[in-house]
Amino acid sequence: MTTAGPAPRSRPPGRIRRLLGTDLPYQMLTLLVVAALWEGYARTHESILLPTFTETAAATVTLLGEGELWRAAWLSNQALVLGFLIAVALGVPAGLLLGRFSAIERYTDVYLSILLVTPMAGIIPLLVMSVGFGLASRVILVALFSVVMAVTNARAGIRQIDASLIEMSRTFGASEAQIWRRVLIPGAMPAIMTGVRLALGRAVTGMVIVELLMVSVGYGGLILTYRSHFDAPALYAVVVIVLSEAVLLISAARWIERKMTPWATSHHSPRSTA
Amino acid sequence: MIEITNLTKRFTGNRGGTVHALSEVDLTIADNEFVTVLGPSGCGKTTLLRALAGLTGWDEGDILVDGEPVRSPGPERAMVFQNFALLPWASVLDNVAFGLELRGEARGRRHATARELIGLVGLDGFEDRLPGELSGGMQQRVGLARALAVQPRVLLMDEPFGALDEQTRRILQQELLTIWERRRLTVVFITHSIEEAVLLGDRVVLMSPRPGRIAETVPVDIPRPRSFDLHGLGRTEEFTTLTTHLWERLRSMHPDTHPDTHPDRAGARR
Ligand SMILES: Nc1ncnc2c1ncn2[C@@H]1O[C@H](COP(=O)(O)OP(=O)(O)O)[C@@H](O)[C@H]1O
Ligand SMILES: [Mg+2]
Repeated sequence: MTTAGPAPRSRPPGRIRRLLGTDLPYQMLTLLVVAALWEGYARTHESILLPTFTETAAATVTLLGEGELWRAAWLSNQALVLGFLIAVALGVPAGLLLGRFSAIERYTDVYLSILLVTPMAGIIPLLVMSVGFGLASRVILVALFSVVMAVTNARAGIRQIDASLIEMSRTFGASEAQIWRRVLIPGAMPAIMTGVRLALGRAVTGMVIVELLMVSVGYGGLILTYRSHFDAPALYAVVVIVLSEAVLLISAARWIERKMTPWATSHHSPRSTA
Repeated sequence: MIEITNLTKRFTGNRGGTVHALSEVDLTIADNEFVTVLGPSGCGKTTLLRALAGLTGWDEGDILVDGEPVRSPGPERAMVFQNFALLPWASVLDNVAFGLELRGEARGRRHATARELIGLVGLDGFEDRLPGELSGGMQQRVGLARALAVQPRVLLMDEPFGALDEQTRRILQQELLTIWERRRLTVVFITHSIEEAVLLGDRVVLMSPRPGRIAETVPVDIPRPRSFDLHGLGRTEEFTTLTTHLWERLRSMHPDTHPDTHPDRAGARR
């Protein structure tokens, strides 16, 4: 650690400027405003059902120190991770095939629409009846919730690929397998990653809904418990924790998306064109 | 040598009508010849080139390249596209090496070849750029380098400079001729610009629409290497005579030409 870095005086302004260039400071500002409004509203309308922001924050910190929360998180995330992975593993290839071979579309379009519009909550009783209250039914529901995003985005990703790229590959003698590897998959990658990110969001929703409505374990189970105790700050704290987890996961997905597809124009790339 | 005999292709339109895209096209192109194909849009130029590339079938006739019938794309033919058709996620180097990569050539060898061609088209120093970071003219240089990298004997070009501004197009035309004169290559070059057809070609093949057929083949006896100075070549009698003649023929094909002044249609309409 003897080598000198860049001149120390120039460092802070550079860092601040870089930080101001990201969305973070503005998001923090919004958060502060919301917190202040919340605090003010809750203090003036005292109610057992509406904790203040500070009460919620305190409850969140307390909850984070308790084993109860981490057991719930472990349970919930098992269903989340498994369901999400199944959705992506099945949904992305299915979407890619649908995009390339539009003849299949005829047979499947109606089912995709059903998946997209069905209120999934409605099929929970069905699932529980056939698979039981175990992990399996939570995993299946999470997968059902998120698979549509994986399928439709992967399909759209293939569809928007410039047909002349496929034609060009063929003039150089590309086989169908080479066209997939070298053109279709890289070309669809931005849309695939968007689909994965959206699928993740839907998976979190699915996870919480199934726990709230049918199989009261995990985060959903905690919410139900605190509700029955009229412990509003703890209840809000669980919601805050679930939301934070979702935001973290989705930010991670977005980061990976950018790293993997720096050429895509859907998100501004930091590359200069000088 | 390319021998096209009696080539006929029909498309069935959505409403059941038939489009005669190509009708009894006969064309023989010698080795190392530079042939330009000129015609109004919709006269079947692209269809002819795609058939030559092996990208599309046809209804009647034959295409032979060096005596071998064309059935699919082949390594002796390479294509340059109007919209460049570059892989947006791949660097200039990987785009130029793409044809070689598809042929299974090892990374080191194909990159060496690609670097050589990047130099040939004047893109030294741009190897690691993405296509989106390049101007249109530079993108088409990449397209040209990619086609040349596979060492084709026939270069098929479908309005390759059609999307470029006038100045860039001039420069690329000149460079294409320089490259063609140095490498032994047969070029089939489609354009709808009369000047471009005459500037570049040994022969201008004029096509007419509905049905798409060859209306006339015009030899261009302007000596090479050709000067691109419009005050030089552009004012020579040979150039003016050819372009005027081609312009007259094209004008008569245009659907907006008044029937009474339309040499082809005036009689046929009655
Ligand atoms: N895939 C296709 N399906 C139906 N008609 C087509 C198709 N491709 C071309 N055509 C028709 O064939 C004719 C010739 O087209 P094309 O070869 O693209 O002409 P050009 O390149 O000279 O403008 C046009 O009338 C066009 O509408
Ligand atoms: Mg065309």
